[in-house]
Amino acid sequence: MNEVIGIIIAAILCWLNFVIVDTYFGLPEQPGVKGARIIGENVEKRGGDIAGGFFQGNIVCSPDASAGTLIASIGYMLLGIPGGIIAALFVFIGNRLCADPGYAGTVGSLTTTLIIFICSFIGFTPEMFIVGMVIAILTVQGLDHKRASIVLGKIAEKFNRHA
Amino acid sequence: MFDLMYNTIFFASYGNNLYGLANITISPFDALFAYIVAIVVSIIVALILKIPLLPEKPYRYSFDVSAIYPTPIIAIGIFSIFLVLNYTFMYNGIVLAVIIGILSALFVKYLFDFVFPKPLDGDEGEDI
Repeated sequence: MNEVIGIIIAAILCWLNFVIVDTYFGLPEQPGVKGARIIGENVEKRGGDIAGGFFQGNIVCSPDASAGTLIASIGYMLLGIPGGIIAALFVFIGNRLCADPGYAGTVGSLTTTLIIFICSFIGFTPEMFIVGMVIAILTVQGLDHKRASIVLGKIAEKFNRHA
Repeated sequence: MFDLMYNTIFFASYGNNLYGLANITISPFDALFAYIVAIVVSIIVALILKIPLLPEKPYRYSFDVSAIYPTPIIAIGIFSIFLVLNYTFMYNGIVLAVIIGILSALFVKYLFDFVFPKPLDGDEGEDI
């Protein structure tokens, strides 16, 4: 498969994977630690959505499905399917060290491993998912906090997880 | 000069069957079966040790350990490390899967709270 097309499709898959898993496990609902609350309120002060702000703050403060997707992709590139499962264990340990129950991170790692395994039959490589995940996290955290938080807040409302 | 990955795998594989090139390897289906054995054994042993099947409600914010989370995650994660290092012991890895399932349930029951203590009330977010 053409690398550029593969990276674009992988970025979309990674974005959907981590946003859906994180929203389902309640990241927009409440901040896990105080730092996440400060980030969320700051984003709201600048015209963003409070649920999206909590989502962004929680991603910063502990490894959730976003980190799980990235680490599982790297593990799959290095070691195959067992690498993705080892990534789930490591993300779980990191979650517990960051005062987070860890459901989102482990489930995100396992779903990513499954997605890469399924996509490997049609020519995707794990490297495409690593680059795609970096692009996906850039759209949430790097470009525009305000608009990204409004989009995340709308998704949270659809899942009935708004703050 | 200092290939850490190669040296680690070489050391762990005891000098032979490097990168899975040994005569004795297990097939993907054996590995899948061993994973299922690890998950089932860890859940059953956790239930025997009287760990509750599900965490307390609300599920998404509960720090309590339970039989379905995180016991099987720890079991399959550690089994994956053995699989990657190509050390599968006997009967296509099933014996190893059973041992790891029992040990991970024991870890969750007796050691988990010492290794990963729950966050204190004063230090965590206000809402939990």
